[in-house]
Amino acid sequence: MPETLEFLSVNIWSVLMAIGNLLILFLIVKKFLFKPVNDILEKRAEEVDHIYSDAEQMRSEAKANKNIYEEKLKNVKTETDLMIKAATERAENRSEEIIKEATLEAENRKRKAEADILLAKKKAVDDIKDNIVEMVIDLAQQVVEKEINEDVHENLIDDAIEKLGERV
Amino acid sequence: MNVEITGARIFLRLPFGILITETQVNMWIIMLVIALLCKWLTHNLKIKPAGKRQVVAEYLVTMANNFVVTNMGKSFKSFAPFIGALFTLSLLCSLSGLFGLYPPTADLNTTLGFATVTFVLIMYYKLKTNGLKGYLKGLAEPIPVLAPFNIIGEFSTPISMAIRMFGNISTGVVISTLVYAALAWLSSVVLQWLPGALASIPILQLGLPAILSIYFDLFSSVLQSFIFCMLTVLYIAQEAKSE
Repeated sequence: MPETLEFLSVNIWSVLMAIGNLLILFLIVKKFLFKPVNDILEKRAEEVDHIYSDAEQMRSEAKANKNIYEEKLKNVKTETDLMIKAATERAENRSEEIIKEATLEAENRKRKAEADILLAKKKAVDDIKDNIVEMVIDLAQQVVEKEINEDVHENLIDDAIEKLGERV
Repeated sequence: MNVEITGARIFLRLPFGILITETQVNMWIIMLVIALLCKWLTHNLKIKPAGKRQVVAEYLVTMANNFVVTNMGKSFKSFAPFIGALFTLSLLCSLSGLFGLYPPTADLNTTLGFATVTFVLIMYYKLKTNGLKGYLKGLAEPIPVLAPFNIIGEFSTPISMAIRMFGNISTGVVISTLVYAALAWLSSVVLQWLPGALASIPILQLGLPAILSIYFDLFSSVLQSFIFCMLTVLYIAQEAKSE
């Protein structure tokens, strides 16, 4: 039979050893379990805080950017409006100019054409005059059956035709 | 039939009456197990939890932290490792009976040691809050005649804590010893008609002790460890807060 303690016995050294064991275990648990885990929990909390603040910052940045872009868009709209207006104005001016030019040109051409017509008319009249002169002279020759001195009678005939021409 | 109920086995007698008993050896084994468990749980911790091991470690620490903070307040958060150590040590000491070891908490010396630490902490916070003069004055209230009773009252706290735990755990040991012995006797009486060595097999020891063990070893161990920690926490918090 191995030597045993009494069922109920108090030994001061055993009590002290229990105290020591408890304190040693306290240090062990503190160093090997609580410290690393608490550290990691703290680090995680820090990281989460960090992530949140980052997100918050990004959100405010995005908001600011959004405002800037909206402002820019608004500006762009007014700018394009202005540009379109200016372009329209310019185009209108230009078209007016073109029309004016075209009108002018047309008028010039008309005028020129009229002048041409007049000239042609005059030339035709002159031609006819000449023909008539010749014809009359021929006729006169045949009528009088003798040579007429062209130089003598030409002026006479011309006068006559002139009077004729005025009547035409 | 002789049933002997004894304390822990003595392994070594050192000078000055120091005894190395089963209690001490088992407690060292349990401490080693706890230390290794802590080491294993916390190696390779990551900010992003990388496995069940870390979740368990964090759960245990968070639970201890919450227990201490809820019962004592935020300023006592540094108590969490102590309460955690006290709880695991007393719990595993009591549960070691399940593995056939002599439970160190069934030795009054152990529970007295635990209670002494609690007592010292209580006294420390009492003196810190009231000052030595205030504390001594408090002992003589409401009338100086009651001072001896107040002094007894001071010591009754740790002693009752120590004896409560010792009593509950050692009761488990005593009762299971008695039940085993009784069942062995019953077996030998009931089964004596069996031939030869078969009669000496205490077949009735199967079953009933296991059920008793669920109460005395499992339930009682957890409950007593919890009560011990709860009382420690509450007494200290009470002394630290009382003006």
